[in-house]
Amino acid sequence: MDDELLELQRQFEFAQQAKSSIRLSERNVVELVQKLHELRIIDFELLHTVSGKEFITPEQLRHEIAGEVKKLGRVSLIDLADTTGVDLYHVEKQAQYVVSEDPGLMLIQGEIISQSYWDSVAEEINERLQECSQIALAELAAQLHVGSELVASVLEPRLGTMVKGRLEGGQLYTPAYVARVSAMVRGASRGITVPTNLSVLWSTLQQLLQEMEGATGVAVEGSFFQSLFNGLVKEGEVLGTLRAGLHWTPTVFAIAQKECVDSFFSQNSFISYDALQKLGISQPIQFLQSRYPEGIPLVTAFVHPSLTEMLDAAIEDAIEHGSWLDSLSVLPTSFGSQDAYKIVSVCPSLQSALKAKKVLIMGDSYIFSSSFVKDVYDRLEKEMETFSHSGSSANMLGDDSHLVKEAKARQDLSPFETGSESGNSKRGTEKGSKKKKGESSVTKTVSAEGDSENEDYIPTKSKKNQKKRKDTSSSQVSDSRKGAKKDSIKPQEEIVPSEEWLMQKLMVLVPDFEEQGVDDPQTILKHLADYLRPMLINYWKDRRKALFTENVEKMKRLLDNLQRKLDESFLNMQLYAKALDLFEDDQSTSVTLHRHLLRTVATSIADMLFQNLDVHNKLKNGTQVEDSQSSEGISLSPGERTAMAKSFPGSQSKRALAVVEALEGKRVETFMAALRDLAEESGLLLKKLDKKLERTLLHSYRKELTSQVSAETEPVLLLPKVVSLLYIKVHSRALQAPGRAISVAVTRLKDKLDDSAYKILTDFQTATVTLLALMSAATGDEQDCLSDRILSEKELLGSQMPALKALVLGSSQS
Amino acid sequence: MEGWDPNTKSTLTQIPLLTTKAGPRDGAAWTQRLKEEYRALIAYTQMNKSNDNDWFRISAANPEGTRWTGKCWYVHNLLKYEFDLQFDIPVTYPATAPEIELPELDGKTQKMYRGGKICLTVHFKPLWAKNCPRFGIAHALCLGLAPWLAAEIPILVDSGMIKHKDDAASSNES
Repeated sequence: MDDELLELQRQFEFAQQAKSSIRLSERNVVELVQKLHELRIIDFELLHTVSGKEFITPEQLRHEIAGEVKKLGRVSLIDLADTTGVDLYHVEKQAQYVVSEDPGLMLIQGEIISQSYWDSVAEEINERLQECSQIALAELAAQLHVGSELVASVLEPRLGTMVKGRLEGGQLYTPAYVARVSAMVRGASRGITVPTNLSVLWSTLQQLLQEMEGATGVAVEGSFFQSLFNGLVKEGEVLGTLRAGLHWTPTVFAIAQKECVDSFFSQNSFISYDALQKLGISQPIQFLQSRYPEGIPLVTAFVHPSLTEMLDAAIEDAIEHGSWLDSLSVLPTSFGSQDAYKIVSVCPSLQSALKAKKVLIMGDSYIFSSSFVKDVYDRLEKEMETFSHSGSSANMLGDDSHLVKEAKARQDLSPFETGSESGNSKRGTEKGSKKKKGESSVTKTVSAEGDSENEDYIPTKSKKNQKKRKDTSSSQVSDSRKGAKKDSIKPQEEIVPSEEWLMQKLMVLVPDFEEQGVDDPQTILKHLADYLRPMLINYWKDRRKALFTENVEKMKRLLDNLQRKLDESFLNMQLYAKALDLFEDDQSTSVTLHRHLLRTVATSIADMLFQNLDVHNKLKNGTQVEDSQSSEGISLSPGERTAMAKSFPGSQSKRALAVVEALEGKRVETFMAALRDLAEESGLLLKKLDKKLERTLLHSYRKELTSQVSAETEPVLLLPKVVSLLYIKVHSRALQAPGRAISVAVTRLKDKLDDSAYKILTDFQTATVTLLALMSAATGDEQDCLSDRILSEKELLGSQMPALKALVLGSSQS
Repeated sequence: MEGWDPNTKSTLTQIPLLTTKAGPRDGAAWTQRLKEEYRALIAYTQMNKSNDNDWFRISAANPEGTRWTGKCWYVHNLLKYEFDLQFDIPVTYPATAPEIELPELDGKTQKMYRGGKICLTVHFKPLWAKNCPRFGIAHALCLGLAPWLAAEIPILVDSGMIKHKDDAASSNES
């Protein structure tokens, strides 16, 4: 046997016999520990690692945590749980404990961070900051994986010590950088001379910075500029005022603005808001009121009281002199009418005058003293009166337009072209001449006296016109056109005064409206006219009313009168017409008699009727008719009659024309029919002749004739009357015979009279005829024989007269 | 080396390898081989002891060292089950692995040939052949018997095929 082998056997034996080292399994140990815990032998808390192989006491864990934190400065709890091998829950618990024990530690977002860590971080940051001159906090926070607020809160206490720089709006800057930017800000803000929105400025600065630093440069926040700027303002490095934190108004600008306003205001004692707005003052009224408390704010301007004083004086003057004033003419040109109204209303004199009702404000800026207005009104009233006196309104208005033109012509020497064209030049010039004589008297009675003057007036005027026409041809054209238009419009308008008419009137009445250089007299005239027109219309209406009542009375009277007269004369006429029947067989005599009757009696009837109807119509229209009595006896020419007939309204005019025509005819009957028509149309009654009436009329006629015959001394005139009387006696007809028809009438009496009586009559008649022939033959020269014969004939007739008279009177008496 | 649990593997690698290729009929070479076997066994035993994993006792039953006997045990549910162990060194050793026998368990489990020879895993034979002549008795125990015990004893105990000796005694008593 090999020794070695035996040795090995022994060794093996020994190895097998050797006591094996006792080892407890983990399970056993765990159970043991649990048992110990249960038995309270281990009376403290025991933690175990995640692997379950280790038990660890909280103190140890805390110690380990503290050690880890000390080593790394910043440990996340999750990492701690890994390194210690303890459940995160316990780690968190113990970590809180650790952190609460040690003030130098903080637990943030599952991380324990020590102050020393922050110190080192701050140093790092400082190094970087010195390199880059600026770092964004957000960037740092991202790098450190913490919130930027935390970074800021940590850095703040270290600023100036460990971190040499300043924190501004989430950015860290080095002092040098801050100085540079603040220099930029200072430069920019000093360069500003007008009010600026700072954010605009900041954005441009930002752009500038970006350009300087290239694309890598971190955008500088506007708030940084703002804070730098605020610092500068506080230190007084830049001067100005900041409104709403953004609107910067440099002192330079404010001073310039103020000076500008001051100088303008002190020079002109007013300033318009527009001007202020141009200067950049957005709320001019408040601005001015705060600066000039004594000033008066108007609608578009601000005025110093001194301006008011001036205006006040002007107004006072106007009121005292009973004149008027356009306040705009006194005020600076930039003032609007509303301004004028406002400023005028604060004038003390005006206020007192208004209280006393001594003044009127029209169209904002025009000031009229009441006396002036009253004066104008009175004059206009008078005007209206003449207006009503004159014939038709159209006529008057036509005149007016000429008048206005006249007035204008005097002003700017424009011609009355329109007048001459429309064929009214004569009237126009008449007015003109009158104007010339009596400046403001505008009466419209057409007088003949101007004729001679007119003739020399027209040429000079036209010459003048021709001269001036060249100068002012353009204005004339418009003028004349205007005038023409007015002419065309006028007749259509009612009698009520139109605005234009009123304005023209006013222009004539108060020529100084234009003389005072008012740009557009129309506006002021319009205001005045507007004011006056209702009053005038009222007045006019009153007048019309009064006239109407008056006229009704008159009309009644007139119609009564007319009826009476018409009755009388028409009956007479009928009477006379009846006598014509006797001569119906004798053609020539009949015609003569008809004509005679128409000429005499019918004509007078027609005239009377026409005139009265005319007056009646006028009264009806409300025009004033004064001298209706005087027109009684006037006989009219055929032309006038026709004109009058035409002026009658409607169908009346037609009938009247028929009457006029009949008057020219040869038959009394046609006239009578036409007259009846007209009378009926006019509402008048024509009485028919009846027997009884005829007798009484004849009787009175005879009586009259008898008395006339007995009183008559002139033989020539006696004859017809005797013949008429004889006709009444014989035929009971009233004969109106002209001289030519007398002989026929006498011959007709032959059968009816005694021979002696007839003889007397024929003798007398022949004697009269010879006398008349002789008288017509006598030419006034002294032909003795002729005059002798006339005398002898007269004597003969005179001797025969008593016989003739006796013939008539006697027979009548018998 | 797949097919074994990591513990077995790590243990196996720590057992010293043998170098001599000799069977029981090779005389002096066998002696040399036997020496190497002993050294390996000693190392393995020491290793087990130090790991508190001692699980067998064997010794050569004849001077040639071709027959070995001893005991092996397994702890299950805090009870130690102990069995007799025996095997012969085949003449073709080391090309053929020794057939380990647990005669007590003969007929109690299917994982056993007649006569109590344990059935080894399919991986054993190729591995042995591959490592011939470097593997020896210690390797055979480690690779063969230890896994077999760990796998089979709990099943046998739970199925009631084998009973702890105390229990058997108490049951006998009762």
